[in-house]
Amino acid sequence: MHRNKYGIILPFLAPALILYSLFVIYPYAQAMYVAFTKWKGLRKSPRFVGLDNFEKMLGDDKFWNALSNNLIYLVFLPIITLGFALFMAFMISQKVRFSNFYRVTFFFPQVMSVVAIGILWSFVYHPTIGIFSSLLKAVGIENPPIWLGDPDTALWSIVAVTVWQSAGFFMVIFMAGMLSIPKSLYEAAALDGAGRGSTFFRITFPLLWENTRSSLVFITVIAMDMFGITFTMTQGGPDRSTDVLATLLYEHAFLHSRFGYATSIAMVYFVIVIVLTLLIFRVTRRETIEF
Amino acid sequence: MKKSGISRRRFIEYTGAAGLGIGLSSVLPQILLAKTGIKVASGATNPLGLAANTQAEGVFFSGGFGHAYIEYAAEIFAEVHPGSSMSVEGIQRVGERLRPRIIAGNPPDVMDNSGAGNLDTGALVGEGEILDLGPLMSAPAIDTPGKTFGETLFPGSQNSGLFDGVQRYVNIAFTVFGVWHSKSLFDEKGWNYPTTWDGMLSLCDTIKSSGIAPWTYQGKYPQYMLFGLLEPMVSKIGGTQIWKDVDNLVPGAWEHPAMLQALNMMKALHDNGYIMEGTPGLTHTESQAEWLQKKAAFIPCGTWLENEMRSITPGGFDMVIKSVPSDDASKLSWIDASSGEPFMVFSNGKNPVAGMEFLRCLLSKESAKWFAQNVGSIMPVVGGAEGVELSSAMTSALTAVENAGPNILDRPSFPGWYSDIYSEVKDSMGALLTGRASAEEFIERVQGASDEVREDEDIVKFKRS
Repeated sequence: MHRNKYGIILPFLAPALILYSLFVIYPYAQAMYVAFTKWKGLRKSPRFVGLDNFEKMLGDDKFWNALSNNLIYLVFLPIITLGFALFMAFMISQKVRFSNFYRVTFFFPQVMSVVAIGILWSFVYHPTIGIFSSLLKAVGIENPPIWLGDPDTALWSIVAVTVWQSAGFFMVIFMAGMLSIPKSLYEAAALDGAGRGSTFFRITFPLLWENTRSSLVFITVIAMDMFGITFTMTQGGPDRSTDVLATLLYEHAFLHSRFGYATSIAMVYFVIVIVLTLLIFRVTRRETIEF
Repeated sequence: MKKSGISRRRFIEYTGAAGLGIGLSSVLPQILLAKTGIKVASGATNPLGLAANTQAEGVFFSGGFGHAYIEYAAEIFAEVHPGSSMSVEGIQRVGERLRPRIIAGNPPDVMDNSGAGNLDTGALVGEGEILDLGPLMSAPAIDTPGKTFGETLFPGSQNSGLFDGVQRYVNIAFTVFGVWHSKSLFDEKGWNYPTTWDGMLSLCDTIKSSGIAPWTYQGKYPQYMLFGLLEPMVSKIGGTQIWKDVDNLVPGAWEHPAMLQALNMMKALHDNGYIMEGTPGLTHTESQAEWLQKKAAFIPCGTWLENEMRSITPGGFDMVIKSVPSDDASKLSWIDASSGEPFMVFSNGKNPVAGMEFLRCLLSKESAKWFAQNVGSIMPVVGGAEGVELSSAMTSALTAVENAGPNILDRPSFPGWYSDIYSEVKDSMGALLTGRASAEEFIERVQGASDEVREDEDIVKFKRS
C-alpha cells in the first residue's frame, strides 16, 4: 500500500520539485556562494574571499545608514499601516453608508504598479505644482517643506505613500477575518451592553489574531524591502536619507560592479527577514480558537 | 592644460561652416553610393578586412538621440559592404540587458554604453572585454580622402576613451557644458551675462528683486552642478592640472585651494537665497521645465538640453549656453566640452572587425551630417555640420567653442573610472547646495571617497596625463 502511494505521488510531484530546485533553490545556493567572493559581475569567475565582505560591511557607514532606515520603516510601518487597516476594516464592517465604495477605494492602490505609484506620488510631492505644497501655500504657509528634496522629510513622505498603498490590502485581510467571527458572539456582547469600543477590543481584535500574525509578517517583508517605491521616488536620496538595504545592494551591484559585496548585503537582508518572521510567529503564538 | 588645438579658424573648418572640406574632397576620386549618398574615398572601402557576407549584431542605448541615426549608419554599412549587415537594436538600461550575455561569453559585436543603468566601463575594460580600437583609429576614413579615421575626429574629443593610452571606445556626440539662459528674457529685462562670479552674484541680486529666481539646478541629480559649474570654475581658478590629479587619485587632490574657493563661490548661491525654492525636490526634466517657464534665470546643462526639452520649449525662448564666469574675466571663454555617447566593440564578440567597420561608417561625414540635421546635435567629425542649419542653442554652443579657442577644458575622467567617487560627489553636492554641508565638509567627504578608492586593491586603476 505504502509503496504504491509513493509510486503515484512522486511522478506527479517531480516536475514541480525539479523546477523549484532549478529556479529557486539553486540560485539561492549560488547566491550564498557569491556572498563570500569578490565578483565584478562580468566574465571572470568569482574569487573566494571568505568573510571579507561581511567584515567590510561592519565598518561601512552606508550599510548601517541603510539598515537604520529599514529599522525606522520596521517600527513605524506596522503600527501605522495595521492600525489604520484595522480601523477601516472595523468601520466598514459596521455597515456605514457607502461601505462597498470605501472598500473598493481603499483596496485600489494595491492593484496599481509600484512604479506608477512612485511617479504619481512624486507629482503629489512636487514642490511647485504638487497638491501638498499648493495647499499649504494657499493657506498662507510660505515655505512648505520640499518633501522629497529634504533629508528630514523624504523618509516620512515615503512612509505615507507606503501606508496609503498597503493599508487597503490589510483591510481586506482583516475584513475577511471579521466575517468569519460568528454573529452570536456580537449578539451576546450587545445583550451584555457592550459598546462599539469594547466590542472591538474584547471580541473582534482577539479573534483576529491569526490575521494579525500573518499581516505582521507581510508588513515586515514590505518594510525590509521598500525597493520599488524608493527607487522610483528618491533613488535613496537626498544624501542617502532614504537609502535602504535593497537600494544599497542594487547600487553596489549595478553601479559599482561589486556583485560579491552586494550579494553579501542581500544575505544579511535575507537572514534578518527570516529571523524576524520566525520571531513574529514565536512571540505571537497563542491557542487558536475554533468556532 | 590639455589644449584641444581647435583654433578659431580651424574650428570653422572642422564644422564645415565655411565649406572648406569640399574643395579637398573633389580632387581625389570617390565612389558615390546612391542610397545614402555617401562618397567612399578611394582605397577606403574595406581597410580593416571585413569578411564578405558578415551578419553582425549591434545593441545600442536609445535615449535623447533616439537610434534612427544608428540605423542610418547601418544603411551606410550595408551599402558599402553589399551582402553584409549590422542589425540595430535600440534599448534602455544597457547593463541589465547585456550583462547576462557578457557573463555567458556571447556579447553583441558593438554597443553604445550610455544612459541610466549602463555598464561600468572601468570594470569592462579591466576585465578585458573591450577591444583595442587602434586599428580603427589608423584606418583610412571612409569619406574624407587622405585622412585616417582618427584624424577626422575633433582633436581631444576621444581622450576619455583612452585607458592607459589604449583607445577603448569612441565618443560619437560632441557636447558643450555650461550655463544656460533665455536670450529673449535677458534682452527684455536688459540683463547682460556677467564676466566674473562677483558680477554673477550682483546680477542674481537684480534678477531676484525682479521676482524671478536667479538659479535652479537638476535637484535630485545635483551632479549637473559638477560639470556645469565646479569643473570649469576650478580649472579657471587653479589650472587644469587639478582635475588630472583628481583622476590620478593623487592624495589630497580635492584639497587644492582652488577647489575650496570654487565650492564657496557656488555655495554663495544658496547662502544668498538665489536658488529657486523647491529645487532639491525636482528631477532634471522638472527643473528644466521650471526654467523654461522663466521661473529661474540660469540652469547648468550640456547641449542635449535643447533636444531633451524640445516638445515643451515655448516659442521665442532662444536658449543659449555660456561658460560659467569665475574670478578672472579674461578666462570667461574657457569652456568644458567633450564628446560623449561611448560606442565600444567587444573583444569576445563574433565579429569584432564588423564592429570597428561599423564605427567607421557611423563617424563618417555623411552620417554626421544626418545626425546634425535630424537629431540636432553634433558628431565630433570634421566637416560634419557642412551646410546644416543650426538652432540658437547649437549656434551658441559652437560660438562658445569657437571663442574658447585653445581653452577647451577636458572633462575629468573620474566619473567613468571610479563610480564610488562620483556617487559621493553627487551626494555632497546636494548637501552643499542646500546648506547642509560646508565647502570644507564637501572636500572632506569626497577626498575620503577618493582615498578609499585608492586603497581598494579590487578597483582597477587608470592613469591619464
